[in-house]
Amino acid sequence: MRNYPEILSGVCELLEPFAGQSGHNIGEDTDLIGELELSSLKIMDLLMEVEDHFDVTIPLNRLPEVRTVGDLAAMIDQLVDRPS
Amino acid sequence: MGLVEFRELKIKSMKPTVSKHELPLRPANFSSLIEALEYAALGETGMNYFDGRGNLYASVPYQLLARQAKTLARRLLALGLPKGSAVALLAETNPDFVRFFFACQYAGLVPVPLPVSVNLGNHRPYVEHLRALLADCRAEIAMAPTDLLPLVEEAAAPLDRPLVGDAKAFDGVPEADLALVQPKPSDLAYMQYTSGSTRFPRGVMIQQSAVLNNLFGIVNHGVKARPGDRCVSWLPFYHDMGLVGLVLAPLAGQLSVDYLDTRVFAMRPRQWLDLMSKSKASISFGPTFGYDLVARRLRPGEEQRFDLSNWRVAGVGAEMIRSETLERFTRRLAPAGFDPKAFLACYGMAECSLAVSFAPVGEGLRVDTVDGEILSSEGVAVPLLSGSEAGKVHINTYVDCGTPLAGHEIEIRDDQGRALPERQCGILHVRGPSLMSGYFGHPDTTRQVLSEDGWLNTGDLAYRVGKSIFLAGRQKDLIIVNGRNIWPQDLEYIAEQQPEVRSSDSLAFVAPDADGEEQVVLVVQCRESDSGKRAQLVRRLKSRISEELAIECVVDLVPLHTLPRTSSGKLSRSEARRIFIESTSERAQQDNVDLELRRLA
Repeated sequence: MRNYPEILSGVCELLEPFAGQSGHNIGEDTDLIGELELSSLKIMDLLMEVEDHFDVTIPLNRLPEVRTVGDLAAMIDQLVDRPS
Repeated sequence: MGLVEFRELKIKSMKPTVSKHELPLRPANFSSLIEALEYAALGETGMNYFDGRGNLYASVPYQLLARQAKTLARRLLALGLPKGSAVALLAETNPDFVRFFFACQYAGLVPVPLPVSVNLGNHRPYVEHLRALLADCRAEIAMAPTDLLPLVEEAAAPLDRPLVGDAKAFDGVPEADLALVQPKPSDLAYMQYTSGSTRFPRGVMIQQSAVLNNLFGIVNHGVKARPGDRCVSWLPFYHDMGLVGLVLAPLAGQLSVDYLDTRVFAMRPRQWLDLMSKSKASISFGPTFGYDLVARRLRPGEEQRFDLSNWRVAGVGAEMIRSETLERFTRRLAPAGFDPKAFLACYGMAECSLAVSFAPVGEGLRVDTVDGEILSSEGVAVPLLSGSEAGKVHINTYVDCGTPLAGHEIEIRDDQGRALPERQCGILHVRGPSLMSGYFGHPDTTRQVLSEDGWLNTGDLAYRVGKSIFLAGRQKDLIIVNGRNIWPQDLEYIAEQQPEVRSSDSLAFVAPDADGEEQVVLVVQCRESDSGKRAQLVRRLKSRISEELAIECVVDLVPLHTLPRTSSGKLSRSEARRIFIESTSERAQQDNVDLELRRLA
């Protein structure tokens, strides 16, 4: 079953192509907007990858609170289905 | 069977509303939105909502919508609000928005769609924007999707109104035993926030008579609706084209319509084509940008997957139409049966309900190729005969946006207000029955654009050929260099041609430099961080601009997401100019301080 550290490393992997040539070392505290400078279309691409990879649907209302890679991983962590 | 499986089964068994039914098509000849809804409710068509995976999750026949809206109207009447009170509706693409919009019609209240522009990390700016809008329209109540309630409550907290709730909260109010309201033609049908500064929002007031007149024009003069037509839309419900063009117009023409959330489209643009194929839709609209996004996202060979052969009206408007971009869309999707004759250019604005003019349906884009040199020096659009382009450096192409709707007239005027003849570029003015009655709470701003004899100054730069409108840019943004007119769109186009720059990543304007001298400025959002590559981009832009337009230009690279936008999401040139001037004067002051310090040392 997926836990937070696994989700975090999955998110970092997904982010690699988005970091591009900026050479950023992506980690939990990386600021998605400020450091990776993702454009609004890039953000949409990223969210699509996240939805497909983790098989979740990201609720609109959570986006404004997501700033860092860690925030994104924590949100996914709450969304993934786990057998109860 | 678990709840999840039950829900899945329910979704699978749900059917979208039909495209064809027995009810004769009445082409939007109604006197109120209620009358339009009640006629549509006699048939079997309606609205259908699709989720991010392309599954239908709600299907609302007009018949059901009319019944639900009346019930909800009695609940809203029970709140005892004064007639004509503003009701803010967070306009997410969902059935609740439409139900509340029509409940307001029956309850004598004025719906005000508000943008749902939440994005990564934008908590503070979004709440501030919402607060400005709620205060400006003096909303008595605000309805938001449950998961957005905290944001709206935060926005409303320092205001003395509105009462905020989700659909469920208002559905819990007991129905009042009161008669539903019969709207008069002069009653407001809705209020629409539109282009203009985010900090100074302007709510366009649209009367029943205005929007019904415009809907008649859209359905008859514009798309020429036929029985069996079907629409698809991903445009936001808070946008004039999304609301009037793809919510109210299909209803007024009793056509079924399939919706995709705007964010789903932005994330998965090819779903637009999937839905068009699946529902065999014949009508859809979008800005050039939307067609561009799909064409860029297609994978090689993927066009085989789509069937766009039923698409007879591919409307284009809402921003300057770029024919080359649309040609690329055609090249990619012709194998899927897309017919470029489906492109329907149109021109309009929220101040005119939506539409001012449409090109003839079924003829595709008609492009006017003019001598850019004469246009900028004399303001005259002189057509270039085919073959004579060779050797010309400055060629401009403009798309024919068609003739005004019946009952509407246009004039192209010079800056003294005199009417100009054919092919002379000037400011486009419109008069007619679809115009707004004003900006809510801003009589001074209204007087600046709407004259006593009913002419609206659109602020747009255009020329006409016969009665056909050719849009050339925005008047207030015109750049004049040594007596020559330069269109900022042309500078921005050069920027967009660079591989590092996307559309909507640049803005051009004139601003004074530190010494007060006028300079042309091109601000470009740039994701490149390597200083060598940045310098190279700046050099390349400057040389292309001087090559094509023969002007000097300051190129300012700024980080992503820093270009300001208006409440309708368009880039705001005037705001960008203001920010640029502020930052240069700060820099100049800093330079002075540095100079003083050096003197002391």
